[in-house]
Amino acid sequence: MSGVSLSNIKKAYGPIDVIHDVNIKVEQGEFVVFVGPSGCGKSTLLRMIAGLEETTGGTIDIEGVDVTHLEAAKRGVSMVFQSYALYPHLSVFDNMAFSMQIARRPKDEIKQKVDEAARILQLEDHLDRKPSQLSGGQRQRVAIGRAIVRQPKVFLFDEPLSNLDAELRVQMRMEIARLHNQIGATMIYVTHDQVEAMTLADKIVVLKSGSVQQIGSPLDLYDNPDNQFVAGFIGSPKMNFLKGIVNEPRVDGKITITLDDAPNTTFDITSGSATLNAGDAVTVGIRPENIGLEHDETVGPTVLLKPEFTEELGGVSYIHTQTKDGVRVTIERRSERNRIDQEDLQVTLPVRDLFLFDADGARLR
Amino acid sequence: MRPKSKNNKTLTAILLIAPFIVCYLVVFAYPVYKMFAMSFTDAPLIGEGDWVGLENYVRMFQHKLFYTSVYNTLYFVGLTVVPNTLIGLGIAMMIVRLNGMVQAGILILFFMPYILPVTVVTQIWQWVLDQQFGVAQPLIEAVTGKRISVFRDPLWAMPMVALITIWWTNGFNVLLFISALRNIPTDYYEAASLDGATRMQQFRRITWPLLWPVTALVLTLQLIMQLKIFDQIYLMTQGGPFNSTYVLLQLVYREAFGRNQGGYASAVAVALFVLIVAVSILQYQLLKARGKS
Repeated sequence: MSGVSLSNIKKAYGPIDVIHDVNIKVEQGEFVVFVGPSGCGKSTLLRMIAGLEETTGGTIDIEGVDVTHLEAAKRGVSMVFQSYALYPHLSVFDNMAFSMQIARRPKDEIKQKVDEAARILQLEDHLDRKPSQLSGGQRQRVAIGRAIVRQPKVFLFDEPLSNLDAELRVQMRMEIARLHNQIGATMIYVTHDQVEAMTLADKIVVLKSGSVQQIGSPLDLYDNPDNQFVAGFIGSPKMNFLKGIVNEPRVDGKITITLDDAPNTTFDITSGSATLNAGDAVTVGIRPENIGLEHDETVGPTVLLKPEFTEELGGVSYIHTQTKDGVRVTIERRSERNRIDQEDLQVTLPVRDLFLFDADGARLR
Repeated sequence: MRPKSKNNKTLTAILLIAPFIVCYLVVFAYPVYKMFAMSFTDAPLIGEGDWVGLENYVRMFQHKLFYTSVYNTLYFVGLTVVPNTLIGLGIAMMIVRLNGMVQAGILILFFMPYILPVTVVTQIWQWVLDQQFGVAQPLIEAVTGKRISVFRDPLWAMPMVALITIWWTNGFNVLLFISALRNIPTDYYEAASLDGATRMQQFRRITWPLLWPVTALVLTLQLIMQLKIFDQIYLMTQGGPFNSTYVLLQLVYREAFGRNQGGYASAVAVALFVLIVAVSILQYQLLKARGKS
């Protein structure tokens, strides 16, 4: 049975469409992350699932029940807000017990459930405190605890870690992952941080301008992006993109390309598309870790890069460079530590690691 | 060097606060002291009097009009303070749900009476409530079966003054409540509605407790302001009919300016002062205790 399924979901504010025909299927117990740049509609989509925003078109289905027009409280979902939304005048216990007190559950049942959630989240010593007396991470845990107590079918997280500092964010990320393993509920998590998405998700949904760009497992999106947007969004540092032109398409599916930044070298590449003509603009993508620092024309084209600065992180370093036309290219380097950013670099782009996109950003290879 | 520069600083500080201190002493502290002092003399409105000890106070507690005034003042406070606060909250909660220009427009409409001078307010309402031509008379007639000259009816006069006062001053309370309501994040309501709270439960469990500090403030401000009721009554009923709207400040006014009894008027003013201090401290403590529990 599917946990949550969205079919042909649309959302419009007056004449402005913000969500276009979204179809997503979330299996029961799955951890799905909606990721995309700000303004892509990921939070709106989450709030539509929660019932906090009306749905303009399509259907939302939670565990087999059509909830599209059901009020928020009856959908069986809990949400953790970016601001935590803890009631400042209530103690931690009352915050976590709020939903059950509203439902007028017996006192012992409330106490038992809140105590259990507090135990899972290590909040037992803080139940009498007010939210203002807690640290950011503790508040976050109370917000999660409030969701757990309701035993919802689906947990919704709206950028829950963005108010925390970097170290705490990593820690809470692990705690959320652990929590998911422990209670095994369906979880939908919204973030703009692709690292969070990669580390937490069973399945990532990449959104841009209200449309789904690609759905897949983290490594799937990394290895096999459907388009230039996904390729550039997933992965840190970002994939490098270089413009090029098709020299001549060949009948056996191979095309010859000249890069704008290396006009003297051409290379052959297999393309899935037969619609390219000579003179078409294409974009070639390569991840920072795949750029070869040794000059070897047999594996792919070579490009001359001018190093700007190097980030030395110990185990790994990133060399930030520019081509002669000013296109930024980042190179990842491991283990070797001799400085090489003093002079120009002649690097190799191995053909087997190249991605190829057409002028509209669709993946050709 | 150091002591000198410190002295300089002190001198500068004294110079800077001197204008305020002088003003405060001349136009506030001294007159207040003078009033307390006068209440123990038989001074007329202008000029000195002889020390008479507690005679003014003894007289005050034997004065029937004093008790009438205390009763009427408290009656007026009862008719205005809590209703004015609740009405302000109710209107604010409705306005805050509107958006943009509509919200601003409606807010202006409700706030407008507050900027009117009291003379204009009383003129408007004397016209509205006029027994022969008043636009409100058909309504009064529909309810009571006859037209009533409200400012000449001992039963109606005080409630009408209270109604007019609420109409006049409510905009300010609305404004305070709106700014307090806007400070409550919408996340709280969204979280509560996901938790299944009805509108009523959201109000009782979130809005009301979070609004309580402002409610307590509005109640206290109202209490102090309404205990000092004078202008509306002076302009509309002059304390009548049959002293049914006679209030403490009016008694002070009558004794001081009507009967040239500065000493006795001061004694009544001291009584009003004590009443205001006592009631507002009592109320504030009560409200604070409630807010904590």
